[in-house]
Amino acid sequence: MRYYSPASLKEFFKISSQCPNGQKTFLAGGTDLMPCYEQGTPLPDHLIDLKHLRDLHSISVTENTLIIGALTTIQDLHDHPLIQGEFVALYQATHEFAGAQIRHRGTIGGNICNASPAGDLLPPLYAFDAQLILTGPQAERHLPIHEFILGPGKTALLENEILTSISLNRKRLRSQFQKVGLRQSMAISVVNLACTWEEDEDGFSMLEIAAGAVAPTVLILNAFTRAYLENPKKLPKLLQLIDEAIAPIDDIRATANYRRMVLKNLIWAFLTK
Amino acid sequence: MIIEFELNGRLINTKIDPGKTLLEYLRSEELYSVKHGCDHGECGACSVLINDKAMNACLILMPMVEGKRVETIESFSDHKNLHDLQKLFLAEGAVQCGFCTPGMLAALEALKRENIEVSEENIRDSLNGNLCRCTGYVKPVEAALKSLSQMKNDGESS
Repeated sequence: MRYYSPASLKEFFKISSQCPNGQKTFLAGGTDLMPCYEQGTPLPDHLIDLKHLRDLHSISVTENTLIIGALTTIQDLHDHPLIQGEFVALYQATHEFAGAQIRHRGTIGGNICNASPAGDLLPPLYAFDAQLILTGPQAERHLPIHEFILGPGKTALLENEILTSISLNRKRLRSQFQKVGLRQSMAISVVNLACTWEEDEDGFSMLEIAAGAVAPTVLILNAFTRAYLENPKKLPKLLQLIDEAIAPIDDIRATANYRRMVLKNLIWAFLTK
Repeated sequence: MIIEFELNGRLINTKIDPGKTLLEYLRSEELYSVKHGCDHGECGACSVLINDKAMNACLILMPMVEGKRVETIESFSDHKNLHDLQKLFLAEGAVQCGFCTPGMLAALEALKRENIEVSEENIRDSLNGNLCRCTGYVKPVEAALKSLSQMKNDGESS
């Protein structure tokens, strides 16, 4: 295996274009990739470590947006006052994320590009409608996160393109993240969930629910929230719309039926509290 | 490839196999406090300090430590004078088989260096990547709470 650690995007594109496709892997924190190698996946011929791309580590704030560099660690997200103040669900997800050692190494870009159906940062990023900035050797493009993640481990990244930053609109939405795992720490979520909302004296004026680990990608439960906002009293009946939207599977952590029950219970508890 | 980094206060300049993990390297250097547990970044038994932060040595390939400062708990004490955390772990009975202890000490030392408020919640947060299968977590948390509060008071009064 050959190891590279480019210090600039220019150097990265040069190295990446010289390594044949299919024989190279990009690595950020390594917290998802390294366990694969230790479980027997062979190391790639060319491993390109992105961690030294200094420009991708910062969080910047403008009046209307928060821009997070793709290599920002989970811990740095957790410690950022604006995320704690305005993006509560994202903050809560970083708080419940794995354990301290992983939070110090794992990155937001890695969590997105790994595209796990259970990735804990993903439901909040969907619920806040995160825009991803993808940079290739020639051009930059923007995609909403739900168009970027295509399935487990599958993304819309093109060859030699990387995720460089994540942009969130500062809409001052209220939000909440919830996770159910088999133990409190270091457990991959059985179900995770982020809600964003606005409310006035009559109740919710806007509501969005993003659910993880219940389908190949995170799902926004649009049909359910639309019907609920129209007629909140019908909630018991409307839960069926959640069942129709999701497609959970049985795996070593939980059965599909358990996931259905947990998700509906979490949403029920959230809406009736 | 050749890399340079600091290990327990010594500058190391060595030829490495880029596919080797820091865990494999440290144990080959007879730093046996770094335990080979799960190999997946789940148990925390191989935790070491890298630039003052606790990380799992099994998730780090050797080229990634280039230019970094790596510390294992061998550097915490000189075998005669134990580190305060080690003393309190002994006094409070926070060690049973001892396999997870070095990783816990590394995680707690990282917390101490963060210089944030010492609280049970912060201690539990910093230990949540370390699995123990015999003593449990109550005693280590109690020992850490005593030791870190003590160190903080000593630091403030001196």
